[in-house]
Amino acid sequence: MKKLPLMEAKNIHKWYGKVHAVNGVSFIVNRGEIIGLIGDNGAGKSTLIKVLSGYHRPNEGEIFIEGEKVKINSPSDARALGIETVYQEQALVDSMSLARNFYMGREPVNRAGFLNKQKMNECIKILHRIGLFIKSPDLLVRSLSGGEKQGVAIGRAMYFKAKLVLLDEPTRALSVKEVRTVLDFVKEFKEANISVIFITHNIQHVYGIADRFLILKNGEAVKDIEKDATSVEELTEALMGDRNA
Amino acid sequence: MKERSSGKARNIEILRRLSTVREIIIFGVSVGMFILFFFTSEGKFVSPAVIDIISVAVSELGLIVIGVALLMISGEFDLSVGSVSAFGALIVAKFYQLGLNPFLALVIALVAGMAMGAINGLITVKFRLPSFIVTLGTMIAWRGVIYVITAGIPVGFRVIETHPAFYNFLVGDVGVIPVPSIWFIVSAIILMLILNSHWFGNHVYAVGGNKETARAMGINTDKTKVICFMLVGMLSAFVGVMRVTRIRGFHALQGSEIELMAIAAAVIGGTLLSGGVGTIVGACLGALVITVLEYGLIMSGIGAYWYKLVLGIIIVSVVIINRFFEQRRES
Repeated sequence: MKKLPLMEAKNIHKWYGKVHAVNGVSFIVNRGEIIGLIGDNGAGKSTLIKVLSGYHRPNEGEIFIEGEKVKINSPSDARALGIETVYQEQALVDSMSLARNFYMGREPVNRAGFLNKQKMNECIKILHRIGLFIKSPDLLVRSLSGGEKQGVAIGRAMYFKAKLVLLDEPTRALSVKEVRTVLDFVKEFKEANISVIFITHNIQHVYGIADRFLILKNGEAVKDIEKDATSVEELTEALMGDRNA
Repeated sequence: MKERSSGKARNIEILRRLSTVREIIIFGVSVGMFILFFFTSEGKFVSPAVIDIISVAVSELGLIVIGVALLMISGEFDLSVGSVSAFGALIVAKFYQLGLNPFLALVIALVAGMAMGAINGLITVKFRLPSFIVTLGTMIAWRGVIYVITAGIPVGFRVIETHPAFYNFLVGDVGVIPVPSIWFIVSAIILMLILNSHWFGNHVYAVGGNKETARAMGINTDKTKVICFMLVGMLSAFVGVMRVTRIRGFHALQGSEIELMAIAAAVIGGTLLSGGVGTIVGACLGALVITVLEYGLIMSGIGAYWYKLVLGIIIVSVVIINRFFEQRRES
């Protein structure tokens, strides 16, 4: 029996007015697979992600989760399907505490809707497990470093049993050391058999951890290839080549 | 850039830790004002009668301020609270004139207040407009409707003679405590619990702190904001009814300017104009400071005309002091 892919996107199109931001992209994501979604600015990466995360509706195309056709009309639809998005700068609310951020939108509550603060404080222990040590659940997120913030968002996606995590430029604007920390967090997904789409324009960042690469250019998927079958040079060529064409 | 933001982070962390300290300071300021005015008014200020008047005034303003603070934390403004409050009062006075039971009229007024809040909220979120402008429009519009209905002529509301129970329910006394203060304290505690300990409060802070993040986390940001608007509308209408009952008559100017006093109180109490930060306790203390200042100046014989000058100076000073401390901590 052939195993169904976790997610399949078929012929996704998205226009913004006259701009054809995503032009007939099809691809699959297998369980526990890390996909490097690479493309230059304006290649359509963000639009594609926003379609998958329920922010935008595609003008055309179908999405299947474990073989079943789904409609993703809002971010909460995506979450209900097990698709969790970690936006680069939008993952957490700076003015709120770590615990309040961790359970945002999925607060543990009693029957009257009041927060179970004891349970919320456990987020510290959950983050310990992925190697992130933060002193207090009451700490304001604003006081965390960029890498720590990504770690919190990633830990949250794991805790809430996401099946597919979309990481939107998780390493952008981070120091070299922090990039390494974030990449370590991403490996935890693989161990938990969670699939990841890692969006970046930096091949170097994603090459070490991805299983497969999808390269977008002018809204089209120009390459979809396993890591074993390619090299950094080939990917760079695909990304940069035909600039003048 | 990064260093600057982490410096800011640290001082906001400190500010948050100090938020109770800060509330104690505001409380200290109001107590200090009490003592000052005790001397400048030669003792008149702390007489039971004056304290009773101040308690009622703090409660009426405070009931609106806690709603306005909640709304500001969610990232929105409401300038129409004065007009909505007057409209609620007018509804009760008019229906009472037509022979309706005042309790029923009160329910109608509260529903109307929520509806007016919902209108503010829905226009703001559906058309993605600044609520400042939307509620400026509805503030003027509702006041206009009030003038159209009353033609500027006062409406009597002598409910105390026919329904003393209604009067006592809203503005009577329980022992020495005025009923409006009980309404205020109970409402403040409920809102405080919701904001601090209920999932809805978490959504309010999230929506005001970063709307896009809240949305990505599956929070219905529009619904959250509209509910806050409706709460403000209901509280405003309630205060309007309270006031018309106490004064025993309605005039077309009732409640004007309360919108600015409410925002001023929320700001003095530590609510950020940009949303996401603020507390109900702070808002209550802000209402206390403003009211004590007004009556203190009057009782000291300095007069109501000076009140606005001093209040204006205090508002700007509070914001400058906040900014000064932030910059000090940053450097």
